[in-house]
Amino acid sequence: WEAADAAAVPVLLPSAGCWIPSPAPQDILYRSGLCKKLRAGKSGATLDFARQLGHFFVDHPEDAFGSLGQLLHKNFHLGNSKLKRPARNSTIRMTALVEDIDRLEARRGCPRQHLASRLRWFSHLCRDWLFEVPLGLLADCLHEELMQQWSNLLFDDSLTGGALAWLPPQDGGTPMGRLVHPGGQAMNHLYFQDVVLEELPRARGSPAQFELSGRVRQVAAARVDGEDFVGVRSDYHCGVWRVPGRTGAAPIPLQVIHTDMPASCLTVSPHLPGELSVCTQSGTVYLWNVGTGLQQLRHDPQTMFFRDHSPWRWSDFTAHPRVLSCADRTGLQCLDARAPKKCHFDLFKVGEEAGCQQGERVVLPMYLGRAHPSQYLVTTQFSVYVLDERLPLVPVLKWPHMMKAPPLFAHLMPGNPGRSHQVLLGASRTQELLLLQYRGGGQSACQLAGTPQKLHSIGGCLQHLPTQLPHRQHLLQQRLAAPAAGLAATLQEDGPHKSMLVFQLSEAGDVFCQRLTHKAAQPSAPPLRDEATTAPGSSPLFEAPASSPQGLGAAALRYRRWLRALFRACREPPRHTWHPSLSQRRLFTRRDLQGPAGPSNLQRQVRQQLHQAMQEGGLIQRWEPSAVPPPPLPQTLEPAEGPDPLSARLTAAWAGDWEQWWEERTDFSMAQRRRALRERRRRQKRARGCRSLSASFTSSLTYQSELSELSDAGPPLLSPGRPPILSQESSPPAGSPAVRSPLTSPAPDEALLSSQSLRCRGIPKERRKTLRDYLSVWAEGPPEPPEPSGSQASQLCIPSSQSQ
Amino acid sequence: SSHEHKLNFRKSKEECLSYIQDALLQQQWKRAAEFLTCYVESLEKDYSRELIGPSEMIWRIGTEILWHHSQSSMKEFNCFMEQMKTLGVKRYLKVCLEHVFHLLCNGQIDEAYQNLSLAESWRFGEQTAIQDKEMKLIEAYRGLLDYYSWSKQKNILLEHSEDGFSDLAVEQEMHSYFRKAAVNLKEIIKIPGVWDVFVKCYVDLLEFYGDHNEARQVLNEYAYNSKFPANPNAHVYLYQFLKRQGESKKSLISALKILHDIVPSHELMIDFNTMLQKSKKRKKRRLGLEVIFAALDYAGWKENAKAWSCLARQVKQIVISEKHLDWIKQEWNSRKDWWPAFHFSRYLAKRNWQENKSLSYEKALVAGILLGKDCKYFKYVSHRGCKTQLKRFRMLKKFVNRHNPVYLRISG
Repeated sequence: WEAADAAAVPVLLPSAGCWIPSPAPQDILYRSGLCKKLRAGKSGATLDFARQLGHFFVDHPEDAFGSLGQLLHKNFHLGNSKLKRPARNSTIRMTALVEDIDRLEARRGCPRQHLASRLRWFSHLCRDWLFEVPLGLLADCLHEELMQQWSNLLFDDSLTGGALAWLPPQDGGTPMGRLVHPGGQAMNHLYFQDVVLEELPRARGSPAQFELSGRVRQVAAARVDGEDFVGVRSDYHCGVWRVPGRTGAAPIPLQVIHTDMPASCLTVSPHLPGELSVCTQSGTVYLWNVGTGLQQLRHDPQTMFFRDHSPWRWSDFTAHPRVLSCADRTGLQCLDARAPKKCHFDLFKVGEEAGCQQGERVVLPMYLGRAHPSQYLVTTQFSVYVLDERLPLVPVLKWPHMMKAPPLFAHLMPGNPGRSHQVLLGASRTQELLLLQYRGGGQSACQLAGTPQKLHSIGGCLQHLPTQLPHRQHLLQQRLAAPAAGLAATLQEDGPHKSMLVFQLSEAGDVFCQRLTHKAAQPSAPPLRDEATTAPGSSPLFEAPASSPQGLGAAALRYRRWLRALFRACREPPRHTWHPSLSQRRLFTRRDLQGPAGPSNLQRQVRQQLHQAMQEGGLIQRWEPSAVPPPPLPQTLEPAEGPDPLSARLTAAWAGDWEQWWEERTDFSMAQRRRALRERRRRQKRARGCRSLSASFTSSLTYQSELSELSDAGPPLLSPGRPPILSQESSPPAGSPAVRSPLTSPAPDEALLSSQSLRCRGIPKERRKTLRDYLSVWAEGPPEPPEPSGSQASQLCIPSSQSQ
Repeated sequence: SSHEHKLNFRKSKEECLSYIQDALLQQQWKRAAEFLTCYVESLEKDYSRELIGPSEMIWRIGTEILWHHSQSSMKEFNCFMEQMKTLGVKRYLKVCLEHVFHLLCNGQIDEAYQNLSLAESWRFGEQTAIQDKEMKLIEAYRGLLDYYSWSKQKNILLEHSEDGFSDLAVEQEMHSYFRKAAVNLKEIIKIPGVWDVFVKCYVDLLEFYGDHNEARQVLNEYAYNSKFPANPNAHVYLYQFLKRQGESKKSLISALKILHDIVPSHELMIDFNTMLQKSKKRKKRRLGLEVIFAALDYAGWKENAKAWSCLARQVKQIVISEKHLDWIKQEWNSRKDWWPAFHFSRYLAKRNWQENKSLSYEKALVAGILLGKDCKYFKYVSHRGCKTQLKRFRMLKKFVNRHNPVYLRISG
């Protein structure tokens, strides 16, 4: 088999709404440099228990100290001030305690940390009664939860079996199958999506959707009598759907059961319609028939062959419809449902017969009935076994799979009689996919056919995608690296061409697919890629070589659409989708909000006019000029033209002291400018000197000045060069034009800019005053418009362009 | 520090190994070979106390690469194997055995034989239990090759004897092969395990030389010794041997009875059923019905026309004679809640009719008797059969209609 594309391609668009990644190791592990060093020597990770407990107190203060906090709040002083004499007897100053805690936090991980005596005293005093929930109980619960989270991170067996199923097309119908997969933010929606098998499988129509009351852990399907039965397992509920054989028929929900303990397994019988087997973590195995209900086959909290702590149980069907296999981590047994207590035999045992390693445990058993009625697949974290129930305990095939994570998903594609069967193995956390082929079972001995082969994983396509902006790249990386949650595949025979489609589901709800073509089927086709091209960095997906532009182009297109949809879905921050609202009650006092007691003069006048007009039956043609509210009128803008040097000069000339004005302007500004220049030169010199003296010192200094340069340079550089027609009319908030207005005044030029930046660059105080004087000349000139609205802002800019 | 160095070394070693694995799984043999040459360095400082050390790793990966690499030759392969044999003393025998398999796969039987005898003469220190077992295996495989030569010589001899002249030298050689093979094969069979190939060869040898008692003993031991894992093949071999010997029906039936207990779905159950049906004893006929019902429980037998015809024949017999209807009733009782859905659904009626008319005929007969004339399967098939004007389907319909009261008695 050979991969047709360089990477897996998304089948479905990502669902709207962002995926919340499950906790990562760094979320619950103790992180500290020192601790890491300590840990390197010993094995095992340290859970950050204290931090999580702290989170609880911060996140749920009401639950943690609700009533006692209210009782005690008089006795806790939260200020910085010293306590007065009478209060001191009954009040604790909390700020001191908080300081102590902060200090403790800073020394975290230090092996020789001493608790501050005050803290120790306080905790001794309050530990027993301060907390609403008894601290010991809370700590126990938290610790249990943490341990469980951690063991889930190490190995999550709730996903065993996989939550993706492929319902193959009916015989002779259109090449359209159905993909059953979970989705939604909590993975609690079940989708039945029609998929057309083309070069790249394509979703058709909108999926049938069901909302469930829990996260979907497993989706199992089997075809009996031309109808598909789909079993869905979440933690406490299992449900079964029937999908009629006709194309386009809607799936019908049949029955739901509720379990007290989380269910760990659900398999659908390939023999009888509407029959399933269910296992729960309490060690109970049920045969579930939609017609007749549940039948308990076994209840045994202990493991079968030797003691193992894992509550995981599994069961599957065998060649005999009444005989079920049931498994735990130590092995497999077969039970007869007609007499479960008496009739059973051991099918597989972790031990000598199978040549197991030490510590080897069963991870996933699967009935291979479609390949050979009596064959069974058992995977452990090290090996894969094929068993024959006619010759129990001794595997007919064993092969160490060398996967990095235990294979939790398996899928069988039976070959024709005499041909090899394909088995796909998938791991969750590492997303590994492995294709095995074996033949034999009936007449000949079982043997592997060909070499096992690694398939593309979802995360592998990252290197082929174009580089994104860093935050998007991060998002993409996180999304694509999500643990796998399911596996499905189908064989497609189209005359001489034989190909295999492999679907992989991730925990984020993405379904990716890849096509493998059979090598023997098309010997003429040149090898699609050399060994070298698979090196990281190259992206044949997006290069579109001449040999098959449509196929690769389609893949690239698919990717582009998927990426676009992904970023659209995740653009807004996931949690704060609502707009922040402000209460104005605190911004304004009641008096501010209260309107004037009586109608104002203006209102009275207007009302009078209105009355008059109504009595006369005439029109109100215009208001009296005095009645016009001052701010929005253009007249108010007239003083704004004052900043113009020409008008200033004219005003002076009109007043008669034009000469004086001129004297003032030249002398004053010349002196100012000279001083400023000298100042700048000296500053530069000093900076140079410092730099040579000590690098570390100047680095902080230059950093400062750079900062100020940055903060300064922004507006001034923009405003003089601003083109007359601005697109920013609406964008600046009401406050900002007022700040800018002195800069947009006609005079601004080099001197102003440099002097202003000088001031911010740490010029001594005494010089700053002169600078300020100088600046005040310019600042006084233009009286600021009171509240420039949008249209005014654009008008303000026109003079600045004229002056240049 | 040395500790850190050790750690780094281990890390890079693991990294290298994962690269090799990656290349192997993508069938990039050339790349894997390049990485393997780097990995060889890890032999220098073999601190590991893991289950599979680097030297074993190199052996396994190396053979895999050489086996698939387009440019490797058998000579290179032999050379590599010789090196591997010296690399790990504890693994010597294992490597030898694997080497022999490779040689056999390439048809180099003589070289394989040489290698095996070489390995047999190898000694190192005190023999451990595992070594002992491996040595036995090597001897057994040499015995197998001896058997192979023996059967070749036997064929030559048989051809010659047909021509009418005998060759003493060939005969001598054949006998010596027999002695060598028999000694080694006998040894391995004593150890508990699944030794189907060796047992078959050994019995063949013994039978040729007329040592039937020994053969019978070997087969009985292989089938009935409780130390051996339950192996249905052992009973099959015994049955075939007994049949060849022309043993009485009784012993044949007892051999098959045990096979039935272990594997009710074995192919030989049809033979067993026909044998029992012919029997005059009522008990045996009863067992026959049980056997065929049990076989048809299995999914693999669902479309086996022969089995269905066996069942149909026996059921018909019982119904006509109207004796022992309670047998059917008892068998049916434990199956009536699931056989209708498993065997006699409308969907299956349609499909069986399309694919195999005679199968659907037999099944319809059984369905008509067990479920009455209103059963979906029977109705569909008889309707179709009458439409296409097939005589036997009309007969079938008549028969079932006539015997409909039987259904009431069975289900009641």
